[in-house]
Amino acid sequence: MSVASSRRNRVIGISLTYFGLIMLLVIFIGPLLWVLGLSLKTRAQIFVTPPVLFWTPTFEHYARVLTQADFIASFMNSLTVTSASVALSLVIGVPASYVFARFRFVGSGAVFYSLLLMRMLPPVAILLPIFILFTRLGIANSRIGLIIAYTTFSLPLIVWIMRDFFEGLPKELEEAAYIDGASRMTTFLRIVLPLARPGIVTASILCLLLAWNDFIFAAILTNNATRTLPVLMATYAGAETGTDWGSMTASGVLVVIPVIIFSLMVQRHLVAGLSAGSVK
Amino acid sequence: MASSKRFGSVLSSWVDKHFAILTVMPTLTVTILVFGLPLILSLMLSFQGWSAQQSLFGGRFVGFANYIDLFSDPQFTQALWLTIAYTVITVFLELTIGLGVALLLNKDVPFVKAFRTALIVPMMITPIVASMCWKLLLDPNYGIVDYFIGSPILWLGDPTLARISVGFVNVWQNAPYVAILLLAGLRSLPSEPIEAAAIDGATRFQIFRHVTFPLLTPYIVVALLLRTIFEFRTFDNVWVMTGGGPADATKLLSVYTFMTSFFAFDMSLGAAASWIMLLIVFVFCVLFVAASRRKENAL
Repeated sequence: MSVASSRRNRVIGISLTYFGLIMLLVIFIGPLLWVLGLSLKTRAQIFVTPPVLFWTPTFEHYARVLTQADFIASFMNSLTVTSASVALSLVIGVPASYVFARFRFVGSGAVFYSLLLMRMLPPVAILLPIFILFTRLGIANSRIGLIIAYTTFSLPLIVWIMRDFFEGLPKELEEAAYIDGASRMTTFLRIVLPLARPGIVTASILCLLLAWNDFIFAAILTNNATRTLPVLMATYAGAETGTDWGSMTASGVLVVIPVIIFSLMVQRHLVAGLSAGSVK
Repeated sequence: MASSKRFGSVLSSWVDKHFAILTVMPTLTVTILVFGLPLILSLMLSFQGWSAQQSLFGGRFVGFANYIDLFSDPQFTQALWLTIAYTVITVFLELTIGLGVALLLNKDVPFVKAFRTALIVPMMITPIVASMCWKLLLDPNYGIVDYFIGSPILWLGDPTLARISVGFVNVWQNAPYVAILLLAGLRSLPSEPIEAAAIDGATRFQIFRHVTFPLLTPYIVVALLLRTIFEFRTFDNVWVMTGGGPADATKLLSVYTFMTSFFAFDMSLGAAASWIMLLIVFVFCVLFVAASRRKENAL
């Protein structure tokens, strides 16, 4: 093979790669950008044929959505429920994952894998008995009930990710601390936890996604006063008559933007977390 | 002062001695109360004729009657087969597309990292919002998809097209996840066998077929099992896009269970349907645990 033809093949290869990559963007990001565009158009521009490609963005839909009592209330509910469940599941789950990584006790493997199994169960199957129990306990329709449910669903996730993470930390530092007379609790709080920060970031984001994105639990365990954003969005999408495209797209963007910004900020950790366990 | 100090040291040595059990306990307690107890409750209900007005243990034992009712209900059997077919097809598509995307993103060309980043976006999006977006994009009157095709197609109004649309949205949202898992796998493969094959004069396809693919198989198996478990329980996007319609065409098992429990309020039947779902998913969960355990031991 001559030098010229092999160089030509390389150029063709690289061009094909970029063609493929751009197709990826068109298919996976294009539709989202289009919807983002819709949210910035006037009512007339949304429904005009052929579609407008260049226009001066208007924020009227955002202004309307952000002054709606419904939207604000749901946003606050989502925020409360998500942050409370992430905090709670970290406090409960991180120490447990440390133990699963460092201690071998009778049944520790079985307990660890049973937790994993719990994570996999279909939510719709566990929803009915939870609904019955929460109703009897009087915590259905409250944010507390939702926080408890999300915390429980987050725990296996945390244990799964953080155990891998703790196992990857060198044992020597902890051993040195024990020799210096530090207690287990002190060692855990002062030495292990600071080292585990990247892992904790990953685990929190995955729990955050779980709570922020969940629909099915919130749909059953809340009422109009305590519903979260996904539930509110579903009521928008269900309205067949006179769908308000502007409000729908604008509120959709408002639901998604915080999560995307957050995920992109910690992208490296996140990818590691998404493939944790499955990659091992 | 001195006694409180001594109390403190006694406490801390007690905590030290029972550190493992004390730290695992909260997780176990919460999980048993919020997962374990409800599971037992729903198993119990599935063998009872029970209505929400009765006390928790006031149901009448009816044996397998609920399960027999389920399997003689054509709506349920249709939902079961539909869910199995739906899961097989979407998982197959997610894996093939995900593998293709992973191979593409594994190429070391400039800016490829930016493309990897961009691909994270679809899977971060709230499923309800993603479905809502696609509902708008597929709108027969004003949707951009039909504008490009040039004729108004009722994507969500026709039984077959509704099934395709619902499946498409799930594949669209989850193929990137498979791609990221497999990309992580590709990046961790040893480079020696691939280089050796290249020196031996193997073509690119031969290298992929005989070296890369076999090395990647454990990752593919894990992705396959994970996606099967998650596709089997698909609910959100069906609920928003079609609500199970038209004419029950997209009534998957999860939708059936949901509607039986919370719309028809037949909680015993709903519990039985839940348990059938649980048993099917359980099989794949056990396979998944075995697969991830085997990999862990291999390392």
